[in-house]
Amino acid sequence: MSIDLVVVTPHGEAFSEPVEQVVLPGAEGDFGVLENHERFLAPLKPGPMEIHLVSGQTEWAAISSGFADVSAHQVVVLVDECFKAHEIDIDHARMTREEVEQGLKEIMHDAEEADHRARLETAAVRAAVHIDVYTRHHG
Amino acid sequence: MAGLRDIKRRIVSVESTQKITSAMKMVSAAKLRRAQDAIESARPYAERMKSTLEEVAGAGGDASHPLLEQREDRKTLEVVVVTSDRGLAGAFNGNVIKAANAMMEERSGEFANSRLTLIGKKAVDHYRRRRAADITHASDVGSDVNYPEAQEIARGLMDRFEKGEVDEVVLVFSEFVSTMTQTPVVVPLLPFVPPEVPEGEKDSEEEEKLAYEIEPDPAKLLAVLVPKAVEVGVYRALLENQAGEHAARMTAMENATRNSEELIETLTLQYNRARQAAITTELVEIVTGAQALE
Repeated sequence: MSIDLVVVTPHGEAFSEPVEQVVLPGAEGDFGVLENHERFLAPLKPGPMEIHLVSGQTEWAAISSGFADVSAHQVVVLVDECFKAHEIDIDHARMTREEVEQGLKEIMHDAEEADHRARLETAAVRAAVHIDVYTRHHG
Repeated sequence: MAGLRDIKRRIVSVESTQKITSAMKMVSAAKLRRAQDAIESARPYAERMKSTLEEVAGAGGDASHPLLEQREDRKTLEVVVVTSDRGLAGAFNGNVIKAANAMMEERSGEFANSRLTLIGKKAVDHYRRRRAADITHASDVGSDVNYPEAQEIARGLMDRFEKGEVDEVVLVFSEFVSTMTQTPVVVPLLPFVPPEVPEGEKDSEEEEKLAYEIEPDPAKLLAVLVPKAVEVGVYRALLENQAGEHAARMTAMENATRNSEELIETLTLQYNRARQAAITTELVEIVTGAQALE
């Protein structure tokens, strides 16, 4: 009982192997996929991806927004980036989070800075996901 | 006739130029390999994206998205011109700029205004020097193309399109065909046209499509897919340009190295002749001197 998980980013294939189960951060809520899942497509939001390997171990990865194409024997995840827990640079993520929070405070009520704010918020979400995945992996 | 020392000096100078061109050729070859790898890595993502779009566009029927909107009344055309930052790549950048200008000339009747997004120092320099139309965005390619950069550029374009500031966006860049050939291409980017399932495959895929469930609904999925497809379009242009640049420079430097070789041969011949002539003259002088003494 396994399903092929393929994670593809513009930089290449980040993951490709059979897994027991995968839990993905869907835009409408997390969902788990097992073998023989009904065929469907769903958008994903940035968040942790929980991979239950065939060996019984659980691996975590941080993914950005994208979508998942699920069929009976394969899950294809297309995202901008995917970092496995051990690939995460935790110091960098923590530093980014602090910088971004500081930056957001400074322009909190400035309507002019909408673009800038959106960018900072994206960076904040990304850093939060990285930290989340890192702590889950090491916790 | 040039003095012996002058010829010698030129030979030395051409030799050192040749060392530089052959080093540049080798550097470009290495960079080209990396750039080709990057194109290869991006391919699966682009292909999966395309096939999913085909299915969603097919299954969604009338699902619409602002980036798909074909406007009746089109006023402004935005042209994205992608070149390299550095020269010494033969006609590589010139060809892209020529193609961009030809396209703008051809379509000048359709649009009242045109705007430029310039990527790569060579394009920026060219259009700044000519004080060209509206330059909306100008940036360097940088040393390594990455996806976030492409996203940033694509988002700016989509934003202007959605706000109605521009009605059509086209990309002009060099397509990397092979090491020897890079062809300038004009690729429409916005309004986005979803890929269509090729005719022959339609029937066989019909059944699968029925079994397809899209959550929450096709419109929401399109809202995720279409911007990503546009980003991929820009990313591809940057990657192709990068590989093309290194290929063109490699070829140019190979030619330059070969030309130096020929020049060195000619100069060496000249040098030997001149030396021989000098020796002959000297001998004649000595012989004449000796004869005069007898």
